[in-house]
Amino acid sequence: MSGNQANLKLQPEPAAGTAPAILSVDDVVKRFETPDGPVVAVDHMSLDVRQGEFVSVIGPSGCGKSTLFNLIGGLLSPTEGRISIAGEEVRGPHPSIGMVFQEESTFPWRSVEENVAFSLEVQGVGKAERLERARHFIAMVGLRGFERRYPTELSGGMRQRVAMARTLAFEPKLLLMDEPFAALDEQTRLLLGDKVLQIQQELNQTVVLITHNITEAVQLSDRILIMTYRPGRTKRFVEIKLPRPRTSEIVGSDAFGHYVAEIWNDLREEASKGMHDQETMAERRRR
Amino acid sequence: MRAFDRFAPAALGLGGFILFLVAVEILVRVGVINGYIVPLPSAVLVALGRVVAEEGVLPRFLLTAGESLAAGLLVAGIGIPTGILLFRFNLLRRATENWVAAFAAAPIVLVYPLFLVIFGRSSWTIIAIGTIAGLPPVVLKTLEGFSGVRPVLIRVGESFNLTGWQQFRTILFPAAVPTIFAGLRLGLIFAMINVVGVEFLINFGGLGPLINELSERYDMPGTYAAICFVVLVSVLFFLAVERVERWLRPAS
Amino acid sequence: MATTGVVTGAAPGWRPDAVTLVRAAIIAAVLILWQLLAISGLLYQDVVPPLQAIAVALIRLLGSGDFYANLWASLYETAVALVVGGGAALFVGIVLGGSRFLGRAFEPYLYYLGPTPKIIFFPIMIMWFGVGPGSKMAMGALSCFFPVALSVAVGMRAIPPILIRVGQSFRASQAQMVTKVYLPAMREPVVNGFRLGFGIALIGVLLAETKLSNQGLGFLVIQNYQRFDMPAMYALIIVIFALSMLANAGISRLTAPRSRRGGAH
Repeated sequence: MSGNQANLKLQPEPAAGTAPAILSVDDVVKRFETPDGPVVAVDHMSLDVRQGEFVSVIGPSGCGKSTLFNLIGGLLSPTEGRISIAGEEVRGPHPSIGMVFQEESTFPWRSVEENVAFSLEVQGVGKAERLERARHFIAMVGLRGFERRYPTELSGGMRQRVAMARTLAFEPKLLLMDEPFAALDEQTRLLLGDKVLQIQQELNQTVVLITHNITEAVQLSDRILIMTYRPGRTKRFVEIKLPRPRTSEIVGSDAFGHYVAEIWNDLREEASKGMHDQETMAERRRR
Repeated sequence: MRAFDRFAPAALGLGGFILFLVAVEILVRVGVINGYIVPLPSAVLVALGRVVAEEGVLPRFLLTAGESLAAGLLVAGIGIPTGILLFRFNLLRRATENWVAAFAAAPIVLVYPLFLVIFGRSSWTIIAIGTIAGLPPVVLKTLEGFSGVRPVLIRVGESFNLTGWQQFRTILFPAAVPTIFAGLRLGLIFAMINVVGVEFLINFGGLGPLINELSERYDMPGTYAAICFVVLVSVLFFLAVERVERWLRPAS
Repeated sequence: MATTGVVTGAAPGWRPDAVTLVRAAIIAAVLILWQLLAISGLLYQDVVPPLQAIAVALIRLLGSGDFYANLWASLYETAVALVVGGGAALFVGIVLGGSRFLGRAFEPYLYYLGPTPKIIFFPIMIMWFGVGPGSKMAMGALSCFFPVALSVAVGMRAIPPILIRVGQSFRASQAQMVTKVYLPAMREPVVNGFRLGFGIALIGVLLAETKLSNQGLGFLVIQNYQRFDMPAMYALIIVIFALSMLANAGISRLTAPRSRRGGAH
């Protein structure tokens, strides 16, 4: 936990509550071998998330957020360090972790209820039971009445809710989301944010959200981890002390605006490094 | 790292193939596989040399190649104008394009006895089958090539006040050429396969009957060697046609 | 198709009629030309028999039990060929499509061996499986293996990687990945491969029957040839073409998108 100590010095206080950490990312490094030499995507990062806590990881494009997502989800293994969920080391996709992806990820050949029942089907739950449980989670994401529809008949926001219900039906201890609303328009995103807050409240769900959207992060989180651009390190944690239960109305409050400004202040420097980097790369490619 | 990426799969493919032959050799030698129906790969290799040296392979190859070429020329001579005709008359196209596609999926080779009646056991039967087997892809690809010309190119032609023929010669045809070549490649390959197949079936002509003759002599290694030889010639033919197409095809 | 609606906006429903008319005209022209040729006797009567002779032969063919016995024999051989050859191809295609390395190692062999004339392997198949139906099935299986394996491998690589990651994130086993993710995701290329494979297996079986057999539609064709019964041969070829096109269309329908069928609930 030494890496974590270093991070904690930068911010005054660990998040409220005394529940033990359910997810612990301990001094993790991820290096990729590329034709141009090794690239460090994640550099000595540590993060503890308590039961029921909502933590967002925010950073500019290319900072290694998605690598961190894949590491926690067990789709990649760390070069150094250790990730554990509820005391067990993550060595591959773990039954306690449910992932929601950024890309369109519903199965087009399955109806909504068959999509949501997928994880239960994989676990060998009987048909009647899994469909019933699927319907419960479909109702939770607000898609009652669409059980028999196919993804091609739904809007992008609805499909993303199907993907979320599918992961919730897995009943994970940790819900891990990678920019699930990135492809949606701002208004839909705010409204879906309300849905996420409501579900999180209802299930006392632990959530880690990867995002580049400041508003979204402040609207939803208890704590925000700001990442640096290349190599991806922890810049600092920001605790969001907005009252709960919350709705998207909070977006208009002074406190909200204050948090957004504070985070942008930290993020701007990193984002402009990223932008500069991409410009030089484009320049190099042009030659 | 990169060299490894490039050569390792090729090495594994070739190595796997050789390993397979070695395994067959061993299994035949220890008697797990019946040596009367599967000859030793080493014996086939020896027989391959014998077949090439003693069975008049060159004239046979030239005959098969000649028949394939004749069929290929007929395919081009009939297929491309038919494609242009269908492109030019849209109504005709909409009436018959599906027919051509269905014809492509039908077991065309099976009509070879019909041509046997018409032409007898001669090269004409073989060429006829090769031609009708090669036609559908050429017709369809020619049609696709012309209909796929970008509308902006046609508008450019119109802006220069080209006549219909000038438009065809300077814009439509050059733009369609790559696709037509792709069709010709397919047509030529189809023609060649069917030429060899019918040669074998009616036991007349070049490479096809070679296999018949050796198997009728109960020359096991020889039969296998002849089949390997014909397969090798076909693969070399595909490679050559592919190369020629890439060479002729203008940069796109 | 969509553009024609715009062009013909003024007279909807007229153009399809024109297409039908042209088709009817072409068919009529061919039939009349054929009949004139048959009557004129410019070609041997045997080669171009009059239409009524073909029609009579067609009716006689469809009325004979012999035809159905042979049809059944050929279809059975083709079905076995498709199950054996297509099944092996499905497995090989999934393995090669699932691994970039193995694909690059072995797919070139499939790609270049695929279009070689398969019928020349018939003498070997006779040695291995005898002169009976076994060698015909083997010919069909060998013929359809290549196109099915190639289209499965290509289809496998076209699966969106995200769907594979979803399956992994839910800890699906390898078998579950195949049955619940890979196969449904590549239904279209797999069905297309089998459609192609069916046609090619049928050709393999029938050609082998024409070479050496005592049953099947290929055998019937060659029997008619030996008797110089041209009307019967034409009738038989018409029926075989019709059957192959019917089967082709039938298999194509399997690729219809699921959502439309599901929408009927």
